[in-house]
Amino acid sequence: MTSTTSTPLSGTDRLRPSATSAGRTSRRRMRKDLLRSRIAAWTAILVIGAFGMLPVYWLLATALSSPEQTFRFPPKLIPTDITFSNFTALAENDQLIKYLVNSLIVASITAVLSVVVATYMGYSFSKFRYRGRRSLMHMVLASQMFPQALLLVTLYAVFSSFGLLNTYTALVLSFTTFTMPLCVWMLKGIFDTIPDALLEAASIDGASRWRTLHSIVAPLAAPGMIAAGLFAFVRGWNDFIFAVTLADKEKQTLPPGLVSTYIGEFQTAWPELMAASLVVSAPVVVAFMFLQRYLVGGMTAGSVKS
Amino acid sequence: MSTAAPPQKAAPRRERSGGRLSNGAFALLLTAPGLALFAAIIIYPLLSALFTGFFKQDLRLPGREFVGLENFSYWLDGEFLTILKQTLIFTFGATLVPFVVGFALALALNSGLKGSGFLRGLFLFPWVIPGVVVSFLWMWIFNANYGVLNGILMKAGIIEESISWLGQPGTAMLAVIVTKTWASFPWMMVMLLAGLQTVPKELHEAASMDGAGSIRRFFAVTWPQVRGVASIVLLLEFIWNFQHFDTIYVLTGGGPAGTTETFATAVYQTAFKGFDIGRATALGGLWMVLLLILVAVYLRITERKGDAR
Repeated sequence: MTSTTSTPLSGTDRLRPSATSAGRTSRRRMRKDLLRSRIAAWTAILVIGAFGMLPVYWLLATALSSPEQTFRFPPKLIPTDITFSNFTALAENDQLIKYLVNSLIVASITAVLSVVVATYMGYSFSKFRYRGRRSLMHMVLASQMFPQALLLVTLYAVFSSFGLLNTYTALVLSFTTFTMPLCVWMLKGIFDTIPDALLEAASIDGASRWRTLHSIVAPLAAPGMIAAGLFAFVRGWNDFIFAVTLADKEKQTLPPGLVSTYIGEFQTAWPELMAASLVVSAPVVVAFMFLQRYLVGGMTAGSVKS
Repeated sequence: MSTAAPPQKAAPRRERSGGRLSNGAFALLLTAPGLALFAAIIIYPLLSALFTGFFKQDLRLPGREFVGLENFSYWLDGEFLTILKQTLIFTFGATLVPFVVGFALALALNSGLKGSGFLRGLFLFPWVIPGVVVSFLWMWIFNANYGVLNGILMKAGIIEESISWLGQPGTAMLAVIVTKTWASFPWMMVMLLAGLQTVPKELHEAASMDGAGSIRRFFAVTWPQVRGVASIVLLLEFIWNFQHFDTIYVLTGGGPAGTTETFATAVYQTAFKGFDIGRATALGGLWMVLLLILVAVYLRITERKGDAR
């Protein structure tokens, strides 16, 4: 491979003796350019890779370390005595199991509610033209950008006056404030891809508008609806600020539950916290593997395209 | 796609259920559940927040007393500028740094390397991990006594004594920005990569043939093609960071000595630690005005990019 004559470029040169010297220099230059850009690319990948991946490694390494090993300074970069006790301790903690169940319940209901409501709204935005539609769409888009911390303050007051604090209802409703706008935009994008001709055909066959939506459009949009639901589930599953404020120990979800369980005033149980963090992350990582396909499309539909 | 939905036009008389409604009424009916939810959990609370700013009210007690502009002047005569400054430092830092990192990575992954699809998936990890976990992880990395960052820096002989990254005013904001950078550069990378992939390879080759160097090619060929995506990504991230809460709250809670206090943490602490909902919403109102300007800019820019279908 080192001999230059074996490369296709010089081969072409030989076949075409008429190639000007100017052409040759530009080709040589291109090759040099290519090499330089390869080096630059790999440098960037390695540097950013270290920044991006070392913390993930440290998360894993700590989760698999014994406490004695963790509280030693300077830390051992490669853990020697690996233990799974941090994970087994998790499974035996009833309070954590309760948080986990709460998380599952709240995130699931949030996902279903968001998708159902957003399906109708997204369909309306996608397939009908009427006055005020644009303003409504803008309102939905803009509502994603309202400050959550402020919304939370008044939601707390509202829920408090209705006696809803420390209920699943409060968590589901508050999560919906940030999952629904996203779902509406994702689903509008999905419905946009369903041809109008199909709806027309259904109508000619005598299907009502409801029927068209429920038995023709919805099944076609089902993969997108699942993606939107998964997205909403993940957002609900990940939430910290609403859950920590609106619910107490009984109804709290896992992320704030981890804080109250592991972050002590004087000493934090880091290995156990890291193990628990991995457990919290697992369903999200799995969900995103399924979502990969929709990821860019969904994100661009919701944000870049207006 | 911009014509009226055809089905009803085609067979208006055939419909039974729902057939009595006009198209517009039917479409509005579809949005009704969503609108009801919106009104109840977003619009009403926000309006009431703007209102509450004029009252003296304890979060735990029912009554309230009208105090006019007192809550607003409390902030404007006091910490407002400090909080604004710190919010802006965080917002700019947590937007520009991940943008540069994400863009560099997107360019690298777009340069035709083998396995770039796999790498793209791998790099998404930090973004996929839940925000709270991100905060825990970096809290642990930055830990003053046992943190791996101090360990590495000491082994490398760069520092002699452990640094309390999150516990001292000089480094806390920096640490928060690094954490947020880690969590959001993958998203920017994905978006920019999607933009870069629309740039035709031939354009680059042609420019290269014409003797344009890599820097020249970047500004003449690449940048004009991704400028649209880049500006949206920057603006969105800017808006999000302007109201970001989780990372700062978990890592520092606005401390040490208030040096990482932003609008989000200040509003939260005032309401839930100080129980002063009047003051909290007054600051929130000021904050909202600034945000609305940003959102208006965002809508203007997205609007200009093709018609909002």
